[in-house]
Amino acid sequence: MKKLYFVFTLVLLFGCGANEANTRESIDPPTDEQVEMPQISDDIVANIMQSIPSPIETSLLIKETGAPYNVSTLNDPNIMAAYNDSYRQALNLGVYSTDLGFANLYDKNQDVLNFLNAVKGLADKLGIGQFFDYKTIKELASSSGNVDKLLQLTQQNFEKINSHLNDQKRENLSILILTGGWTEALYLTTLIHQKTNNKKLKEKIGEQKVALDQILLVLDIYKTKPNFPGLIADLKELQKVYNRVEIKTSSGGKPVTKEVNGELVVEDATISQINIKDADVELITSLVKSIRNKIIK
Amino acid sequence: MKTFIGKILIAFGMALCTVTAASAQCDSEQYSQKSLKALTPGFTFVKSYKIDGKNGVRKNIEYTCVFSKDTNYMIRIQGKDGEAKGIVATLFDQQRNELTTSYVSNKFYPGWTYKCKATGIYYLLFTFKDSESYCGAAVLGFRR
Repeated sequence: MKKLYFVFTLVLLFGCGANEANTRESIDPPTDEQVEMPQISDDIVANIMQSIPSPIETSLLIKETGAPYNVSTLNDPNIMAAYNDSYRQALNLGVYSTDLGFANLYDKNQDVLNFLNAVKGLADKLGIGQFFDYKTIKELASSSGNVDKLLQLTQQNFEKINSHLNDQKRENLSILILTGGWTEALYLTTLIHQKTNNKKLKEKIGEQKVALDQILLVLDIYKTKPNFPGLIADLKELQKVYNRVEIKTSSGGKPVTKEVNGELVVEDATISQINIKDADVELITSLVKSIRNKIIK
Repeated sequence: MKTFIGKILIAFGMALCTVTAASAQCDSEQYSQKSLKALTPGFTFVKSYKIDGKNGVRKNIEYTCVFSKDTNYMIRIQGKDGEAKGIVATLFDQQRNELTTSYVSNKFYPGWTYKCKATGIYYLLFTFKDSESYCGAAVLGFRR
């Protein structure tokens, strides 16, 4: 009987742990090349990546300026199959995700479906297609008026993809997806700004200085990986121009929190001014176009 | 007979382990979905945040955010203890000055709306107060 209690105790002691170990082993192994462990902790990398603003904020601003939708400015979804290595696939997954969000915002259902196919195709190639709820998105995109739901679902799907890639220690792909998405959003902003000279878009271009710094922080961790040095060098050229952009913050005292209809609303008196010269906007426009062309070619 | 009792004990042990493991896990996904539903119409969802205190081992969960000027950001929290109970979301600026918190006058608010006028890095800190589960999620939405 004592032996039985001993076995019971063993099960209690090691059973739970073994269960956890099995769960970990069941995670799909990385399919791309072995990732070199960065010296910086995974949590810090994940936190920096999480901080990078969603391209949807920029895309919505473009739409709010009244800029017309022009599919020819977006990446051609039909060339998706030409991206045949994980580096280009991840970058262009980001590019297409921004284009998908853009088409979503303008309620362009056929384009949404085309970009959705491109996104799905690249996600499958990278072994992360299972996190993309293709069926539901396709259903939502098949009729108009589902913009909010579409945006929400695609955003959630990309969060799942990032989380999965982080779990698999494939953060190098996550940062490429984010970089591709960010570059595409900035490219579209500069393109519309060139035509409209809109002040808000100019500010938006200037404030990307903060996001670029965050992106380069993470990309730098993977600087020894194939293809990364070229991308980093290009973005550092862009950063040189951005270093001349001044984000001047002036404090106006403590923020005031009010309860409005049971909700806490915080008014902050601290304001910032974004100082960016027209010549630098032009330089950024030209550099971003060149970087984007390298990504999508 | 001994074999029979043994099998029962082992099965019981394994079942207990499964239950323990399940209760210890924080399925923040479901709370993220709930938070999303609580987002006021007009706000566009941008990010979700896992709030997993690992049964009280993790006291603080901090995320870095890049906020843009002239944009309203809304945080919505949902936790395992029910609504936002036990979870506090506090926002700090880059200099670590506290800007707002969701726990005011001994009340847990479901979140807050921050009217941002300065582009930059902000810190979103989730802490637990009298929490039983140390588990939840929050979502961030924006509106200009």
